[in-house]
Amino acid sequence: MVRKFCLALAVAASALAIAGAAWADFTILVPSSAEGDGLRAAAADYSKMKGTKVEIVQAPYANVFEQAANAGATKSGVFDIILMDDPWIPFFAENGHLEDLTPYFKNAGMEGPDDDFLSKSLAICRNPYNTGPYVCLPYVGNAQMFFYDPIKFKEAGVETPKTWDDVLKASKALTEAGGGRYFGYVFRGGQGNPVVADFMPIFWSYGADLFNADRSKVTIDTPEGAAAMKTFMALRDVSPKGVESYNANEVGTALAAGTAASSINWPDWVATFEDPSQSRMVGKISHSPIPAGTKPGSSEIGHWTMGIMTASKNKQEAFDFMIWATSPEQIKISAERGNPPVRTSTFTDPELTKQEQFRHYPVLMEAIQASTPRPRHPKWPEIENAFGIELSKAVAGTITPEEALKNSQAAVEEITGLK
Amino acid sequence: MLESDKGTLTTPPRMGGGLERWAERHLRILMLAPTVLILLALTIFPSLYMFYAAVHKISPNPDLPWQFVGPGNFARLLSDTQFHVALRNTAVFTIAAVTIEFLLGLGLALLLDRFIRRLTFLKTVLMIPMMLPPIAVAITWKIIYEPQFGVLNEIMFRLGLPLQAWAGDVNLAMFSIIVADVWQWTPFIFLLMLAGLASLPVEPYEAAVLDGASSWRQFWDLTLPFLKPVIAIALLLRVMDALRLFDLVFILTGGGPADRTKVLSLYIYQVAYRFADTGYAAAISLFVLFVTIVLSTWFMKRMRLAE
Amino acid sequence: MATIRTRSRRREMLLRLSAYLVILVALVLTLFPVYWIAANSFKFDIDIFAVPPEWLPRNPTLKHYEEAFIERPFLRYALNSLLVAAGTTIVSVAFGTMAGYALARFSYPWQWRKQVSFWILSTRMMPPIVSIIPLYLFFNYFEMLNTKSALIIAYTAFNLPFATWMMKSYFQDLPVELEEAAMVDGDTRWGAFLHVALPLARPGLAATAIFCLIISWNEFLLSLIITLTEQSQTLPIGIAGRVTQYKTHWGEISAAGFMACVPIVIFAFIVQKHLVRGLSLGAVKG
Repeated sequence: MVRKFCLALAVAASALAIAGAAWADFTILVPSSAEGDGLRAAAADYSKMKGTKVEIVQAPYANVFEQAANAGATKSGVFDIILMDDPWIPFFAENGHLEDLTPYFKNAGMEGPDDDFLSKSLAICRNPYNTGPYVCLPYVGNAQMFFYDPIKFKEAGVETPKTWDDVLKASKALTEAGGGRYFGYVFRGGQGNPVVADFMPIFWSYGADLFNADRSKVTIDTPEGAAAMKTFMALRDVSPKGVESYNANEVGTALAAGTAASSINWPDWVATFEDPSQSRMVGKISHSPIPAGTKPGSSEIGHWTMGIMTASKNKQEAFDFMIWATSPEQIKISAERGNPPVRTSTFTDPELTKQEQFRHYPVLMEAIQASTPRPRHPKWPEIENAFGIELSKAVAGTITPEEALKNSQAAVEEITGLK
Repeated sequence: MLESDKGTLTTPPRMGGGLERWAERHLRILMLAPTVLILLALTIFPSLYMFYAAVHKISPNPDLPWQFVGPGNFARLLSDTQFHVALRNTAVFTIAAVTIEFLLGLGLALLLDRFIRRLTFLKTVLMIPMMLPPIAVAITWKIIYEPQFGVLNEIMFRLGLPLQAWAGDVNLAMFSIIVADVWQWTPFIFLLMLAGLASLPVEPYEAAVLDGASSWRQFWDLTLPFLKPVIAIALLLRVMDALRLFDLVFILTGGGPADRTKVLSLYIYQVAYRFADTGYAAAISLFVLFVTIVLSTWFMKRMRLAE
Repeated sequence: MATIRTRSRRREMLLRLSAYLVILVALVLTLFPVYWIAANSFKFDIDIFAVPPEWLPRNPTLKHYEEAFIERPFLRYALNSLLVAAGTTIVSVAFGTMAGYALARFSYPWQWRKQVSFWILSTRMMPPIVSIIPLYLFFNYFEMLNTKSALIIAYTAFNLPFATWMMKSYFQDLPVELEEAAMVDGDTRWGAFLHVALPLARPGLAATAIFCLIISWNEFLLSLIITLTEQSQTLPIGIAGRVTQYKTHWGEISAAGFMACVPIVIFAFIVQKHLVRGLSLGAVKG
């Protein structure tokens, strides 16, 4: 009796516990979004061509970072390649999770990536920024763009918004006329990454930055910072109530549904605005690089880059795949699958740019070339969190903008140890 | 209680081989063993790891050694304002959400028990929210709360009330989280209360009716005391879950606006996975574990649950 | 419950009416968000954000079901969830029932019964977020990352305390005499458990099973870390994956979320008779 019962249990348990994954020749960690889908499709092509088995691990965007960090910190070696958001590069590189690519280039008889890649796209792949060795290769070329409704802006007396003052002028008029149902501007005010991401371009447009040039001092609470903050607060006043919890999705939806006239957003939305099943504003949304403040505008760069993990056991295979996937032909295929490219030849390929869906390429290329990376610091997530809390408080109005700058300055000094 | 081990019941004669005889003799250990072993295996290692990590400074770089800091991580708890904010928010959330869930759940159970006892179907329908994946619940409430297009503001508009930003409003964000949690977990209390009510003995009530006690008195003097053990377990389980609220906050507000909805598990998550400060995250977790154990021991003693 | 003192019929009617009203309101509030998920899953994205809202989908579409179940491997996720939830439920209910029975019926030296009971419950108090790193190391060491068995083991650890406590209190409320009679008739101790106590505990088993099923069907954090590919990823991970950096795919999420609750709700209706009765005998009495 006992035996029968235990046997039945054991059988049931083992029948349900189906065997583990058969690991492939190499494994890539990607987010489960357009970037990941693109690389997944490329990997499938590669497998077919070379007969290598490439396993793709897809994690929700919010969790790719900790999947990679877990694998790195425990040296588990489950991933050979990780597709990273560029602000993560310093963390992974400076904590020894990423392989230096220099010897691999040397072995392949190359000096490094060719100069068809955009210079800004290559700069973020080196650590330290633009000067250190390559630790990854760019795959998806994102940078923020400024989206607006030209008809509404014209009604409000602004032909093309060149500066933040133009944006403010038009938005103010539109919000006042909107009666609480239509707004001139909308932004990501959600605490943490969202609010920081939509403040940084304004911050830079007024000549401010988090650190001075040699990263020896925190420079948030400065006259430039105050000027940027003033514009940011003025923009908040013309934005809808509730932006305090907005992320890219809500901002994009507001434009697509025709309840807001302008915003900063990622190029991913270009296709959405033109899809009648997702947008009421087909053909009515224009885009431009980020408007200027007292200095030329600069957007935040948001590239997806591929790096090899140090615990990987298949580094050469991984490197070969990366070189193949970032070749001009493959980047073009990737662009056709909906991911913005990182190569000049693809951005200017007439075969693409003559198509409606790629009409934003000249503007995007300009935006990338005028972009700034988020401050390159291994503690960036912590800095972003602290800065994000203070900005969220300022947007919500629980502290004054001056206090927000002062507190952020103190918090970032504390985190970085720069006093 | 069956005290056969002391010989009230003798081993029956019809027995199989040696193994079965052996198993029969050690049944009280064997029946408990799988559970104890599984729990030991899966909690001992994490617990030891947590204690060990909590007294170290751990770099995310696997090549750097762990640096012993003694009570350093715990000392940080005292001066960490973000931790204090999270602690306060968690307390507010737990108290408010569990109280509301309890009152609503008990009230509904009383109503159904008294007026429509037969309709099991209806009771099951009322339990649907707790069967949904929390992540889908969080996303649904996000659509409902959405200030521009959301249903809630549409209803406010129709009623002529001022539109609100809900999860995006400093003063309403925590309230919005609580409402969503109440929606999902009131059914849990409701179910337990229904079960408790269904097993009430009949005789005391008949006596009370003869004595002419009002319904209110009956509820206060009979129903509530009888329900006490059920209430205690329901509250204990809910408090334990409320203390680790994560999905709703993660999706709805990300801790904002202005840190008003940052709860402990979100903060631990940030420290552990965003700032990669495993040692400090372990220290905070130990603190939470300590508070939970102290609270529930005290509560179980008071309610005499362990017996 | 007992009858109430004689009072005017009108007052009783009024009371009854207001009670029905309250229950009706509760029903509407309970069901509306569920309806809203369902309704949104049949709308085009743009109609999900119509002002004023479309109470009924004006242009119903199956687009999102196609996206989720044909273009994306949500069927696979659902199958994984089903296997993991079923496995967890079987294992937790089996072990939890045995442990619960032992704690309810046997005596142990040195107050062990009390200590072990509390210890079992206390394992549920650990904040799951930090036990993730050691669990990751643990499963990595045994090369079990990305397997459904790892998930079943981890979930079992989370469900066992609850199952043990529910069954323990259920058995405590069952009369001992029946088991004693069976043993006098020549049944073994184990036989008495299997043939007498277990059949009597069927409602308790049903209630425990549905709780385990709900928890393991919906679990998110552990699955996120332990599973990697669609070979083992579960529904909640699939759903979370549709919240991307740039966009939240509301329609797909609604479709998947709605489909995710269907099996559980069906199961709940099947066992609904046992659900309240299973808890009511004991369960929660302590």
